[in-house]
Amino acid sequence: MIETFQVKENSVSRRDFIKTVAVIGTSLALLTQIPHGETMLRAVSAEEAVKLAQQAGQVTSSLRCLGFVGAAMGGNPGVVDVANGRIIRIRPLHFDWKYAPADFNYDSWKIAAGGKEFTPPLKTLIPAFSLTYKKHAYSPNRVKYPLKRVDWDPSGNRNPQNRGKSGFVRISWDEALSTIASEINRVKSTYGTTGILSQADFHGEVKTVHGRPGGTTRLLRQLGPITYQLRNPDSWEGFYWGSTHVWGMDQDMACGTMYPQDNVMPDVLQNSGLVLFQGCDPETTAGGFMGEMASLWCYWLKQAGKHVIYICPDVNYGAAVHADKWIPVLPNTDAALQLAIAYTWINEGTYKKDYVATHTIGFDETMMPAGAPANSSFKSYVMGVADGIPKTPKWAAGICGVPAWTIKALAREWASKSTSEVHTNGGSYIRGPYSTEPARLEVLLLAMQGVGAPGVVQIENFGTFIPGIVSPSTMAAFQGQMFTPTPPFIDKCHVPEAIMSPPVSYYGNGSIGMPREDQFVQYSYPLTGNSKVHMIWSETPCLTACWNGGNKWIEAYRDPSIEFYLTQQIVLENDSLFSDMVLPVTTLFENDIDICADNMGSAFWTVMMYNKCIDPIGESHSDIEICEMLANKLDPTGGMLAQFTRGMTHAQLVQFGFQTSGIAGFISWEDFQDKQYFVIPTDPEWASIPRGFSDYYNLPTGAGLHTPSGKIEFYSQGLAQHFPDDAERPPVPHWVPYGVTHQESLQSSRAKQYPLLLVSNHPRWRLHVECDDVSWLREIETCKVKGPDGYEYEPIWINPVDAGKRGIKQGDILQLYNDRGAVLGGAYVTERIRPGAVYQDHAARVDLITDGLDRGGSNNLIAPYKTISVNCQGLATSGFLVEVKKADMAGLMAQYPDAFARSYDAETGSDYDEWVDSTPPGA
Amino acid sequence: MKAIIVDLSICNGCFNCQLACKDEHVGNDWPPYSLSEPDRGQFWLKVSQKVRGSVPKVKVAYTPQLCDHCDNAPCIKAATGGAIYKRSDGIVIIDPVKSVGQKQLVGACPYGAIYWNADLNIPQKCTMCAHILDTASSATDPGLMVPRCVDACQTGALQFGDDTDPAIQALISQAEVLHPEYGAQPRVFYLNLPKPFIAGTLYDSVAEECINGAAVTATDLTTGQVYTATTDSYGDFWLEGLVSGRTYDVSMSADGYLSKKIEVFLKDDKNVGDIPLFKGGM
Repeated sequence: MIETFQVKENSVSRRDFIKTVAVIGTSLALLTQIPHGETMLRAVSAEEAVKLAQQAGQVTSSLRCLGFVGAAMGGNPGVVDVANGRIIRIRPLHFDWKYAPADFNYDSWKIAAGGKEFTPPLKTLIPAFSLTYKKHAYSPNRVKYPLKRVDWDPSGNRNPQNRGKSGFVRISWDEALSTIASEINRVKSTYGTTGILSQADFHGEVKTVHGRPGGTTRLLRQLGPITYQLRNPDSWEGFYWGSTHVWGMDQDMACGTMYPQDNVMPDVLQNSGLVLFQGCDPETTAGGFMGEMASLWCYWLKQAGKHVIYICPDVNYGAAVHADKWIPVLPNTDAALQLAIAYTWINEGTYKKDYVATHTIGFDETMMPAGAPANSSFKSYVMGVADGIPKTPKWAAGICGVPAWTIKALAREWASKSTSEVHTNGGSYIRGPYSTEPARLEVLLLAMQGVGAPGVVQIENFGTFIPGIVSPSTMAAFQGQMFTPTPPFIDKCHVPEAIMSPPVSYYGNGSIGMPREDQFVQYSYPLTGNSKVHMIWSETPCLTACWNGGNKWIEAYRDPSIEFYLTQQIVLENDSLFSDMVLPVTTLFENDIDICADNMGSAFWTVMMYNKCIDPIGESHSDIEICEMLANKLDPTGGMLAQFTRGMTHAQLVQFGFQTSGIAGFISWEDFQDKQYFVIPTDPEWASIPRGFSDYYNLPTGAGLHTPSGKIEFYSQGLAQHFPDDAERPPVPHWVPYGVTHQESLQSSRAKQYPLLLVSNHPRWRLHVECDDVSWLREIETCKVKGPDGYEYEPIWINPVDAGKRGIKQGDILQLYNDRGAVLGGAYVTERIRPGAVYQDHAARVDLITDGLDRGGSNNLIAPYKTISVNCQGLATSGFLVEVKKADMAGLMAQYPDAFARSYDAETGSDYDEWVDSTPPGA
Repeated sequence: MKAIIVDLSICNGCFNCQLACKDEHVGNDWPPYSLSEPDRGQFWLKVSQKVRGSVPKVKVAYTPQLCDHCDNAPCIKAATGGAIYKRSDGIVIIDPVKSVGQKQLVGACPYGAIYWNADLNIPQKCTMCAHILDTASSATDPGLMVPRCVDACQTGALQFGDDTDPAIQALISQAEVLHPEYGAQPRVFYLNLPKPFIAGTLYDSVAEECINGAAVTATDLTTGQVYTATTDSYGDFWLEGLVSGRTYDVSMSADGYLSKKIEVFLKDDKNVGDIPLFKGGM
């Protein structure tokens, strides 16, 4: 006889539940889970019931940095709960789980501002894609086995023209490793090691011993000099290529933004009156490394009485909840707005004349360096002496779409209050054509109001403030390698032309941390005596979706000169689809052991152990394990492996990471292993550290900046000397509507055909492409728009005015296009975007219907391939011209029946089985 | 008795509450409290979003909604065989065994908080994570002391507690419930529920200057109630806390300018745009 388990009226604890079950004695009806989601009602014995209940209670908790910044840099620490070999939940880490707040000097972390006291949360503020990351780990799109493209035959026809068209077949690890080793040896003996290009540069999971990126680079460099793809500072483009010529700021990771950043967050909270978020989104871009910390600080700004203005074409996710005022500027026209602000200040005499006189050069004709042409000062340009066009608010209004009266009011409020410009890395404002100009003008406007004064600062990573006593790092145990501008290399934005039409030359290698003068150095590829590239090994196969002119990258991948294109990835997407072999990579839940410091993501720094959570999915291995296996294949004597592993096991490397992390003096290895994490105590003296850049402000006359004059340069002498004829980045920043490089503004003739400007932000609901397959994110209204055909399209925000002109309604499938191609999207008709602009996040998963037409809505494919300007190598992937129309779906389906017949899982966007024949080898 | 208080003034629309709820309940059975929730389309906690106003006076309001764990729950009355019960701590639970086949319960909730799980043939909803609360103790990880949505909330917009706690009582005393007219006596309370606004900008079209310090009043033509605002240095005014479905007389006056009056029917939030005033006597 089966008795039904009775739930009592009052609460039933798990312990009581187990006890009650045991006491009932006979069999009972219990609900239990049959493998993988199929739940059903069934009767179980009492013994079984007890066992199931106990198993459910056997939860182990492990720690992970769940950010995506890459390497061992931390971000988004969270707790992963595992039961029965399955991840059951992911949640924030509470610092006080195993420590008392006094253990990490919690009480020393407080800021008084605006009559209030601000104290940090006791937990980490992880964002949506960290919270749901188990869905990515269990994605149907996981690469489960080594895959080989069906018509790539290393001993016969390699069919490069079919990359991205033909599918894959499952192969064994032995076949994969043997093929890779023989291809490396063949390329090495035929062309030399420089015939191999390593693409392994940043963003992705955060790990140390299993850390990516660049284990591949390090392993290959054991063979000899290889060609390296140098990463450009892709979220700071304008600052790197522009602001460095105004004030240096080329140290460390500053990339042209104000440095140092000590205590600038408390400074803004205490001393600013007006805070400007210009073309950036603290709710979105910060998510990949510091979760919702920036959001919390935004609320603190409000509570401390700051006036907060967002200047951007869209009501981005920060503006949606934090803006006191939204000024909807047309995309990539900020330079005109900024010039009109300068005009108003000069006209009304409301800038800090003393500071400008002592701390800057080039402001007016009396402050010009020797040899500068007449009328070439900043003031001469702004007032129209040089070109006959005064940069008045009315002039700017016609370009940027902000009324003249609003521009004047903004200029006056800015001049009347201590004003800071804050960013969460760069937004679309700093990632467009000619982004050097708004970037330089931002610094110059700050300089006109005495930058470095209390409350007058520039913040690059708003929300980052961790006053710990020591900044921890496990980078000494990091097994990858990155940011190494060791020749030979190719600037990342130039890789397609380096492959298709070498030689290539350009100014500035574009790597993070390079001095300003590097931008005057001409680099070329290939170096004399070196081979061009014939093989690519990529750990970061996402350039089609994330970099400049993705359609050009596709052409490059199909170039016959590329004989072998090898990728490794967690899920099958983007560039991997164009490769010859794909290796399956584990998520950070699946590795044996690791360690990582979080030195960016929270209110407190932490160091944590990564204990293994679950078994690897399929036959996947970590990037580092793949290198270890290949080392053995390349050198069966074990020499390469020993060099690669530094003679240490993973466990030994973890312990080495602990010893070198900076916390070994605070906690024993045994105690650390037991607790799994350590919270760095707050420095009780943090408030005595001077505010960043106050030293420069406090000098009687400015000096010591890394510019030719040592001062802030309104007229950049370096540019005048090296590029005197560059109209796209002249010595004084200009409004540059179009030029030899780009014709992407409404003033250019192309606007007749493509009359809308596209805003392409960092995505809200994924990190570039990562997590585009999470079904729970995709059902959020602004993540995907379900088309009438059931396909989940990347939203295109369009104002009702522009939608009305084109007969577009909410939910329509749209075609967004220009002369570089087209992508589809789902119409999201909204007041969150101003007329004249449309918005679609960048880096949706690529899903080509045919070459030049993408169903996934990955608009970097049709972004300019050309870089910022003629002498600036950064990407320019937002603020470019497009047109949108309702897609002719019936016509497209008739024209491309095969593409539309492909089966896919709409809820995750996965079409793995369409690409892969998973039949085991030999079966 | 347990309660959840939602402060919409600090809800940033991160959706963590909706997602943490799914993380806890999709693919996880918590007998005898609940069985696995379907992967998609059902939300034991759902965040709704509404775009308010028009360019350039636009705000976005987010509202998380979950089972209200009503003290006078219509669903309990609609259930047969004790399929839905209220615990002594106020939490309302659908028994996943006794509720098999009771599809009528989906319609019994006026708030739409109950979903039908067709695969399992049972109605389902939020349990306030009773399975977590019941195993929590002072020795537990502080992350497992409260419902998942509350733990995942990053701004403090979601608060959980017992109404015997004076701090919780104080919040509840200022809060509203959704649809009080249902008479269900919810245990989920809302602070700062958005109320409609009329916003606009006053400027001098000849001088191309914003008009600062202008007085703007809106008179509700039904009740005669008067709302006032003053323009800021951008000429912006925000008349807030209005009632939708009413017609307002909006009058604008500034020193040295001719006054202006417009009539606004307020269906929803309304941006009346950039309005020029002209020089003249008062």
